Amino acid sequence: MAAQNTHKSFQLLLLLSVFVVATCGLIYELVAGTLASYLLGDSVTQFSIIIGTYLFSMGIGSFFSRFFNTNLIRWFIQIEILVGLVGGFSSTILYLLFENAAYFKLILYLLVGLTGILVGLELPLLMRILKDRIEFSDLVSKIFTVDYIGALLASIIFPLVLIPYLGIMKTSLFFGLFNVLVAVFICFRFRSDIPGSRFIIIEGIVAIIFLVLGVIFSESLLRMAESMAYSDKIIYSKSSPYQRIIVTKNSEDIRLFLNGNLQFSSKDEYRYHEALVHPGMLNVANPKKILVLGGGDGLAVREVLKYPEIESITLVDLDPSIIELFKSNSLLSDLNKSSLFSKKLTVINQDAFVWIRKQTQLFDFVIIDFPDPSNYSLGKLYSLSFYKELKKIVNRKGCVVIQSTSPYFARKSYWIVNETLLKAGFNTLPYHCYLPSFGEWGFVLASPTAHPTTDIMPKIENLNFINRETFQQLVYFPPDMSRVPSKINTLNDQFLVQTFEKEWSHYTQQ
Amino acid sequence: MISRRSFLIKGIELSSTIALASSYSGCSPKIDRRETLRGPNHTLGHKLRLGTFPKPTQVIKTEVAIVGGGVSGLAAARILKQRGIEFKLIELEGKVGGNSHSDKNSVSSYPLGAHYLPIPGTYDKDLLSFLEEENVITGYENGKPTYNEYYLCFDPKERLYINNHWQEGIIPVNGIDRKSTEDFDKFHELVKKFKALKGSDGKEAFCIPLHFCSDDPSIKKLDTITFEFFIQQHKLSSPFLLWYLNYCCADDFGGTISTISAWAGIHYFCSRKGSSSNAQPDAVLTWPEGNGWLVNKLMKYAVKETTTNSMVFQVSYENGKCIVDYFDAIKEESIRLVSEKVILATPQFINQRILSGTLERKIDYTQFSYAPWMVANITCSNHLEEKRGERLSWDNVIYGSKSLGYVNSNHQNIQLFSDRQVITYYLPLTGADSNVERKLSHQRSFKDWYELVIEDLKLPHPTIEQSIQEVDIWLWGHGMIRPSVNFISKTSLDASASIEQKIFFVHTDTFGISIFEQAFFVGTQTAKMITA
Repeated sequence: MAAQNTHKSFQLLLLLSVFVVATCGLIYELVAGTLASYLLGDSVTQFSIIIGTYLFSMGIGSFFSRFFNTNLIRWFIQIEILVGLVGGFSSTILYLLFENAAYFKLILYLLVGLTGILVGLELPLLMRILKDRIEFSDLVSKIFTVDYIGALLASIIFPLVLIPYLGIMKTSLFFGLFNVLVAVFICFRFRSDIPGSRFIIIEGIVAIIFLVLGVIFSESLLRMAESMAYSDKIIYSKSSPYQRIIVTKNSEDIRLFLNGNLQFSSKDEYRYHEALVHPGMLNVANPKKILVLGGGDGLAVREVLKYPEIESITLVDLDPSIIELFKSNSLLSDLNKSSLFSKKLTVINQDAFVWIRKQTQLFDFVIIDFPDPSNYSLGKLYSLSFYKELKKIVNRKGCVVIQSTSPYFARKSYWIVNETLLKAGFNTLPYHCYLPSFGEWGFVLASPTAHPTTDIMPKIENLNFINRETFQQLVYFPPDMSRVPSKINTLNDQFLVQTFEKEWSHYTQQ
Repeated sequence: MISRRSFLIKGIELSSTIALASSYSGCSPKIDRRETLRGPNHTLGHKLRLGTFPKPTQVIKTEVAIVGGGVSGLAAARILKQRGIEFKLIELEGKVGGNSHSDKNSVSSYPLGAHYLPIPGTYDKDLLSFLEEENVITGYENGKPTYNEYYLCFDPKERLYINNHWQEGIIPVNGIDRKSTEDFDKFHELVKKFKALKGSDGKEAFCIPLHFCSDDPSIKKLDTITFEFFIQQHKLSSPFLLWYLNYCCADDFGGTISTISAWAGIHYFCSRKGSSSNAQPDAVLTWPEGNGWLVNKLMKYAVKETTTNSMVFQVSYENGKCIVDYFDAIKEESIRLVSEKVILATPQFINQRILSGTLERKIDYTQFSYAPWMVANITCSNHLEEKRGERLSWDNVIYGSKSLGYVNSNHQNIQLFSDRQVITYYLPLTGADSNVERKLSHQRSFKDWYELVIEDLKLPHPTIEQSIQEVDIWLWGHGMIRPSVNFISKTSLDASASIEQKIFFVHTDTFGISIFEQAFFVGTQTAKMITA
């Protein structure tokens, strides 16, 4: 009676493990398919190839099962532990390797293949273990029934429960863990029948520890995967209420990223900031009061401070964390020459549009260094209404310069900015320069009554990029960037945002 | 000092707030959430039914008495003021504004009713000059008005949640079948045709205000059939189109295609002929407080002349003088106004009571049906969790929902980031029998309404409940007039006839279309006419 009970529970446990293997196996396959569609796109192709590879590998596993002849149950348990480990960590490995490995696809299919082979080994082994204990027709029926039920369960809970609640990385780790736990349990239950069971149990426990650690650290692993998207070492990262700030450094340069978009590289930012500041400065007869909108990095301020006759600089930037960062980090404050500590500087952390509407003072030169108009919120800062407000705070003979995205990558967008400034009643002088880390970049110099000119006389030495001759070249636009007629950008019709989105999508879509 | 009675009268808002805070706190996930259920002052309104008011103790003489401080009454007041005519304005509520009521909290102003004004056609001269006075129109270019950019609805304007996705615009595009696309095309063709159509009298077939519309019988006969019948006549059956048409009927009339006339239905689509140098013909003007902004501009013309919290209970006409008796709920006394003319800017269900037994009108009051409306202003922390697709727009509509969706009250803000926002959710109760709907809606508790709103909003914003800080529910018992069959062509003509050129009817329900432009036009024209 007792023997029969043991026999029965042995059978049941093994069938349970078939169920687990089937469920977990399909989960790994789905994880690989989903990840591949996420990372590589084209979900139909990815899923189709992964399912094919997986099933074919199972066939390979089944074929090789013939070479396992002794200690079948021991092999079965060991393979199950291995499946748990490989499958469990598959998504982690794929995430971490995505940005770095040139052979990402190869690794992907290798992992899928390996999981398939291991799962493929399991069923034939199990059938052979049980063949003397159960009637053959009964055995086949039971094993396949359990196998297919497991597959159904996996395919239903994966999209409905696992992905929404656990996320992809935790799902695979969690099922890996489940897989190993069942293996260890079986091994423990039948330790007397299995030679070297202690060793296998230790093996299993080690695997469990790894997987548990994986689950615990999956969040930071994910973040690590994110950080690998940046090719250089991250020396600073912070999420302010307004944006995600990341600073990277390698032996040659420092880079600032906001929401993943490159803002400058220390190697060539002098070109950008000299081009942004000096043509305008030199176009104003006697600049005393300067306003900088955006540009909390202090780099534009650094350029302005090269003119000793400047009396005051007002810097309006929404995000205090940027200013804090560029004051406190010595690498960065070296870069801006501690401009943010200048006594002439007043920093205001406010929304530029809200702030500008309240102003009654006049500025001689206004430098506008806003992020590109990539959404309807930012687009407001490029609207006719904003430029009309701007005109009210600039001296009649004063100047304004606006960073206006790339006239090469977003040609129409660039000229919309110029058109909108004209409509607001400014005289404009569009120009552009080449930045190795960005490509062609555009600016518009504008004045309420003066006519900005290239006839400038640099008053200061030691500029590395801007001088009279350079600036005269910068106002020339080759045919592929030259002016295109366009509508203007208004709050009620943000033509610029729509255009910008279309133009950049050519470069960001893969 | 506040008397006990006026506390009770004014306290309808307060008492429901307190009651709800105690009865509902157990169910809400956040204990400190502020919850209110309120509406127009029906305590005082119901007193009219009982008809027990003290006898007037004081007689005041004036040139013109205006009863009702909604948009039509205020528009009339503006003209009288400008022309130096003495008048008094009596308002039932604590403040003027009618359907354009608004309120505010620490985050933003928000509407409790009407929330936008389509840019008017160039023929609506009265409205244009008002908008110019208020700097809504900043100038003219080639004869076309240039609108103040801060008041023109910003981009992005409208989005529709359909098939688990937000699409741009509210006409369904995503995942609709070919037959539907064809039906929409056919319908747009019809709209184009009727928009351009002129009657035999040379007037436009459909435009705003209604007075400019053609009286051509071949066009007006569309008022004798339902909009639904018209749609069937043109073999339009796409469920997407029918949803869209019902949505629009609910939007302007609180009705459905089966309860409003074809003329009214077509008018909704074909009457907006805005003209501007810096906006599209279908552009709209909007403010955080909705049309409450316009009301604030209008009410300055009647600051001293307005008496609020006062119920007119009888209007009569004796020896060539008009007599208006009202009960001042603050002073708790009745006062008699003796005037040359009376402008009744009150809905007909009120007029029925205050004129009863004194003056005869050739009018069938049973034809006046008003849909109840529920407006919920929801203050949320942070940004709403969003499904895929278009970003938060001004008007956010949920396909298949009974509601009109919600408007982002902070849409016209110029700043880039805000940590809190107010959204205004609109639910007209479009059931065919508006009396039944009204009764039902008055029985609903705050919790009933809250659950209704959240169930709907959870579709596009699954976690919205966690971010809600304040819910302010406003219930309009009589929201908007429903222009049913024969209303505009017949009932309206009878109802708008003055009594002896002494008592004039200017409420929009007289005309069958409850919109700002109509109210403003009638109020203005009537005041001009009686002072000419």
